[in-house]
Amino acid sequence: MSAHPAAEKTRTSPARAPSGFPFGFSRYRNYVLFAATSVFMALGCIGLLEGLYALSKGPEAWNAWLAHMAQPFDLALSLLVLGFTLYFVVRFGWVGRKIGAGRIGPLPRPPLPLPVLGLAPLGGFVTLWLILLAILGGLL
Amino acid sequence: MELRKVRFEVLRFRPEQDQAPVFQTYEVECMEDWVVLDALNAIKDDVDPTLSHRWSCRMGVCGSCGMLVNGRPVLTCAAFVRNYSGVIRVEPLSNFPIVRDLVVDLDGFVDKLKSVKPWIIRRIEKDLSEGEYRQSPAQLEEFKQFSMCINCALCYAACPVLANEPDFVGPAAIALGHRYNLDSRDEGNAERFAAFDSHDGVYACSYANECSQVCPKHVDPAMAIQQAKLTDFLQWAKILPKRSFT
Repeated sequence: MSAHPAAEKTRTSPARAPSGFPFGFSRYRNYVLFAATSVFMALGCIGLLEGLYALSKGPEAWNAWLAHMAQPFDLALSLLVLGFTLYFVVRFGWVGRKIGAGRIGPLPRPPLPLPVLGLAPLGGFVTLWLILLAILGGLL
Repeated sequence: MELRKVRFEVLRFRPEQDQAPVFQTYEVECMEDWVVLDALNAIKDDVDPTLSHRWSCRMGVCGSCGMLVNGRPVLTCAAFVRNYSGVIRVEPLSNFPIVRDLVVDLDGFVDKLKSVKPWIIRRIEKDLSEGEYRQSPAQLEEFKQFSMCINCALCYAACPVLANEPDFVGPAAIALGHRYNLDSRDEGNAERFAAFDSHDGVYACSYANECSQVCPKHVDPAMAIQQAKLTDFLQWAKILPKRSFT
């Protein structure tokens, strides 16, 4: 703040958060929603792991788990997980489309399918969740 | 030319008298073709000479006059008053300490720019007698958009990550480092990734994309950050070599 290191520092006012952050503008609300997807996706992962564990314990445990997941609260939560995951996929894909083009100086260009491959596990997650909801809905 | 009376709410901070920033209201007769910067200059010239703000070129090149206008980071020399209705609220750039009124402290920003070593690094410099480092138009095109940055810091003011993590290297600095990483004449990629790969480096970015939305020169720092992430990962996974420069 000063040309001379021994000079008195100017008193500054602390940095302020972006105006309207985090809920004042739709652009920030979208960002907060995007960040919130991590909570619901984590819950979804725990749910799927529970399901896999029940599956490994035999038909009785699996049916008990399905009955548990068919409770109104768990069903609503499952739909929320699916909704948030789809939102994450759309937004991640929207920003992720920018990833591919980079090349580093004289090095070869990175393989382009890699960012696309990044979406594959998410696609698998969504598919598993759709299958689960189809089972709970009696379609499978 | 027709005059329109416009009310401006300007954030003031005078360190010798204010404990915290406060808004002050001014009414200004604005001409049809005025930008917000013209109105601020009119306030300073005719109403309140104590108002402090930065500006220089008045044509979107120097990057000095960045401020928040109605909550959005813009170059005030490119923000036409006629495009706003009602009260126009002018604030200093967010995510920066305020030195005085609309003037912010950019020291940290400059330090971050320096941290990515924004210059061409060569392992062995060619002798001048060997001539220049040649580059084709296609090679120039690889990084050209990232060299258009004017260091206006609007992207830092828009970044929600910086609001929570002030030490994040930030969009402009990463885009600048990426510009040199993409330069066919450069061999300093590994040195730069020391800054990119740190706790406050590229992985702190969480895809808000606000930086690219507000950039007045269409640089797209979000793209630079995502490309830098991918390249860093590929180098970590040894899919791309780190130092195979010849």
